[in-house]
Amino acid sequence: MVGWDGQGLPPSAAARLERSRRSRLRTSLLGVPAAAAAESVDLTPVGEVMGSIVEHLGFQGWGGCGWYGGRGWAGPAGWRQMGGPGGRGPGGFAGPAGWSGATVSSGGRDAYAGYGPYVQAVYRGYHTALDRMLMEARGLGADGVVGVRLTVEHLGQSNREFVALGTAVRAKSPLRPAAPFVTDLSGPDVAKALRGGWVPVSLTIGISVAIRHDDWATLRQASAWINSEVSGYTELVSQVRAEARDQFAASAQRAAAETALVSRMDMRVWTIEPSEGHRDHVAEATVIGTALVRFHPTVQAPTRALTVLPLGSV
Amino acid sequence: MTPDDPTLGIPADAMRRLAEMRPGQATTLFTSDLSVNEFLLVREAGFRPLGLVLGSSIYHVGFQMRRWGQNQELDTLSQAMYHARELAMTRMEAEAAVLGGDGIVGVRLAIEFKEFGNDLAEFLAVGTAVKADQTAPHGTWRNVKGQPFTSDLSGQDFWTLIQAGYAPLGMVMGSCVYHIAHRGFGQAFSNIGQNVEVPQFTEALYDARELAMSRMQAEAEQLRADGIVAVQLLSLPHRWGGHTTEFFAIGTAVTPLRDDHHITTPQLVLPLTDR
Repeated sequence: MVGWDGQGLPPSAAARLERSRRSRLRTSLLGVPAAAAAESVDLTPVGEVMGSIVEHLGFQGWGGCGWYGGRGWAGPAGWRQMGGPGGRGPGGFAGPAGWSGATVSSGGRDAYAGYGPYVQAVYRGYHTALDRMLMEARGLGADGVVGVRLTVEHLGQSNREFVALGTAVRAKSPLRPAAPFVTDLSGPDVAKALRGGWVPVSLTIGISVAIRHDDWATLRQASAWINSEVSGYTELVSQVRAEARDQFAASAQRAAAETALVSRMDMRVWTIEPSEGHRDHVAEATVIGTALVRFHPTVQAPTRALTVLPLGSV
Repeated sequence: MTPDDPTLGIPADAMRRLAEMRPGQATTLFTSDLSVNEFLLVREAGFRPLGLVLGSSIYHVGFQMRRWGQNQELDTLSQAMYHARELAMTRMEAEAAVLGGDGIVGVRLAIEFKEFGNDLAEFLAVGTAVKADQTAPHGTWRNVKGQPFTSDLSGQDFWTLIQAGYAPLGMVMGSCVYHIAHRGFGQAFSNIGQNVEVPQFTEALYDARELAMSRMQAEAEQLRADGIVAVQLLSLPHRWGGHTTEFFAIGTAVTPLRDDHHITTPQLVLPLTDR
């Protein structure tokens, strides 16, 4: 059997698409309330769609934490891009006390510093999975994909599988968008957003990784008997989160969206020991959500909430 | 509103908007971690989201000796919980002030003890900064400290609060880390086989909760609030062992916007789902 070259869809996915195009059978991952909600805004489920990629993450980047044998910070200016008085977080906010420049992050100018290649590889994983899912959706003539679930599974030996799974819907409309919209909002949420005059555009992802050396001040603060903020760690997590949020906003901005609703904001911190007595901390922040645009003509949303008391069992 | 409402052609209008989109065109963007329900209701309540705001502090909680057989507040630990939350909240408020926000809604306060160090915890405050479409009836939406108001109410609760003629002033909290005495052998022995109240335990829990609640009340008085809504009284064991607990009271201080506080009587609905 000839191996698949990685272009387009894998043969089995293409075959399933072909089969469902010929058949009148429609599949969907939506539950009853979600399907009813989608139908209420004239979106008809046309099939479940999936995209997947297994990626080998063998190279994480180099450059270390920027700390050289007690002589202080010796990175090129790019490493201080987020740092110093000029550094800024989202909205021009200068961080807890302005970044000190002691944290090396993937958002710096040096593409290899602060796990840059790793971050690029994770982005590629998510985006390839989403693109393949979209390819299936286009194949079904869909206008959008709702309820998308993005998952990452570690397969061992630095291999990861990125999967995007959702339900393709087709609008009862004479107009078609240039590309199907993609959202991780559920069917009812999409329906409510549409009735409120907002339409989802795309799934938006922001990722950042940063590394920081455990310097003397950090170790002292983290092991004292008294209460104290550990400013080094605080800076590490604040900077990595700020960068992930910036990336998230930038991605929504590139899609020309007007709002981005965050559905997930994760953070992972771990310790590495590159050499004897040298300890660094690495933080990875991920922000995922849906970008939306407004289509109702008035500034005021055309919603009209009713006060209802559900007689449910809760 | 139905899809065939002439003023709003769903989904044709939505599809037209998507078809017109040009990636890369400049738009004003805001981010938020509100759910769709919350987002729409906050807009309907007359507030425009400005952006996600966040404050964080990684804090090393100090050490304090506990007397094995004594009920006592561990003030070093209480102070740590206060100080670290304050740092996170202040940073979040600073971000909101930069965005020009009148307030922050849907605030989540989280504490996560970190695996990578002893007694290290991250204190995190996340919310959505909002700006009011109209000026407040009493002049400003900001509180007496000139800070944007904060509220941990959900978007739904926020909508209802505004409808009922109240405005949030700020999140108020009270914390008390308390060590509950171990009982001596003699005391424990005398109770064997009996169903009795253990007065020293009861008293300790009373003391600790009262301290937490009165501190929260004091914060609300500072904000010149009329009341505190959605109070949660939590016992957080954190990582200090069975006898040391943080009693934590948190709520949203509110002030009236007008004199009558009526909302439309809710309609009763019978949902077609269990939840």
